[in-house]
Amino acid sequence: MPRNRAGITTMTMPSGLDHASLLCLLAWLSPGFPTGAFACSHGLEWAVESGDIANETDLQTWLEDILAHGAGRTDAILLRHAHRAAHDPAALAALAELARAAAPARERRNETTDLGTAFAAAAAPWSPPPLPPAPPYPIALGALSGAHGIDEDATVAAAAQAFAANLISAAVRLVPLGQSAGLRVLAALEPAIRHVTDTTRAATPDDIGASAFRSDLAAMRHETQYTRLFRT
Amino acid sequence: MFDAVSLSDAERSDAAPTLQRARGALDVVLRRRGADTVLAGLRQEGCLKARFPRGGAPGWRDVVVLNSSGGIAGGDRLTLHFRLQAGAQVCLAAQAAERFYRALPDSPPAHVATRIALDPGAAAEWLPQEAILFDGACLDRRLDVEMADDGWFLGVESLVFGRAAMGETVRHGSLRDMIRIRRGGRLLLHDAVRLAGDIAQALARPAIAAGARSVATIVYVAPDAEARLTDVRAALDGAEAGASAWDGMLLARMLAPESATLRRMVTAALAVLRGARSLPRVWRC
Repeated sequence: MPRNRAGITTMTMPSGLDHASLLCLLAWLSPGFPTGAFACSHGLEWAVESGDIANETDLQTWLEDILAHGAGRTDAILLRHAHRAAHDPAALAALAELARAAAPARERRNETTDLGTAFAAAAAPWSPPPLPPAPPYPIALGALSGAHGIDEDATVAAAAQAFAANLISAAVRLVPLGQSAGLRVLAALEPAIRHVTDTTRAATPDDIGASAFRSDLAAMRHETQYTRLFRT
Repeated sequence: MFDAVSLSDAERSDAAPTLQRARGALDVVLRRRGADTVLAGLRQEGCLKARFPRGGAPGWRDVVVLNSSGGIAGGDRLTLHFRLQAGAQVCLAAQAAERFYRALPDSPPAHVATRIALDPGAAAEWLPQEAILFDGACLDRRLDVEMADDGWFLGVESLVFGRAAMGETVRHGSLRDMIRIRRGGRLLLHDAVRLAGDIAQALARPAIAAGARSVATIVYVAPDAEARLTDVRAALDGAEAGASAWDGMLLARMLAPESATLRRMVTAALAVLRGARSLPRVWRC
């Protein structure tokens, strides 16, 4: 049952997405949007190398953990607050600082600022609001969505799915897995994506925290991985 | 400071007001005098005390924190504040590993808040011993470091979920363990461990801990942080661990099945970063 920000159960749908909003989200989060996400594996490349991800089931479990206990949850909270602060440059700057400080490894910090910088440049046709320099990705996306008045929950869910889809695409190449196996994982992650959307609505920036320790270790170890296809 | 870390208003109002819980406050100011670091101010309240054993490394002052409450339970509130004036060099340690016991069903979490403020040229080490969580523990712990641009800080936080040798498992509980570092007024690190519910089951998951029951985080903020990365990685080679460095900061994380192994890893990494200086005596007994 959906809940509003006060935590009261309501009967209304959380996101009656109009067509204009839908078109924006589909464009911004499409794999064709030149953010360079294809070059980022979020440490997955090491997890495949080390044998932690060897098949479809491993991939699903790993991504469930990242969504619920790692960057999926952290980025959802950051995105929500950037969405609400879309017209407040000082608040966006503070959120950008927090997003950088919450990165647990150098490549993870680079990943979020590289994606955010590329996203902000590519989003020029949609007239983004003033953004801090080298904005972390959830800050850039959240602020643009908020400036366009696009439903916050819908943005969080779509961003979490796009994040998962990018990592699945990396794993399909790295493990390797079949295209249909990748799509089965994407479908199986829908409850995890809805869960992170539903459980971050009332979270404050102080609630940002994680426990996907081995995902963090994978990102750290990727920095010294001998043969690598991905930047992170 | 506590309002910012409280989990919710509802939890606070649910707390039994009559329950006697431990309170402790410690406020220590240290300053540089010649080649030494000396005490400039001390306030101790409740269950917290500070001792200043002799025999630290030349130029360094050892401070050992004692908690006389015999362990921490839900609703306890401990605040520790250390102020290092310009040029002071201080090694902060705790007398023993800290035990976090089961919280009563309606109890608010135990709050432990530590703040370390470093004036220009000051250096601080935060080397408490392990935090051991018992089944049902409910803990909200926070370490805030505020340092000048040229400050030097080395800290470690170790969490042990049940004593493996005693067959203990943390089936439920709630933990937020946050390290926040501000350098030159800018937020450099927001590292928060969050675990709730069936913690043993969560730790078993592959991207969380793959069954490890203890985790340690080392953070080192210094001009040579990035230059030390190769040596720290070498010290942790072969272990379930990782290290990274950026922005004048080094972050290392390690996982182990139980606390003795974790301590060996922490000790190996600290040895690289602390050079010839030996660990505080309380770590060795």
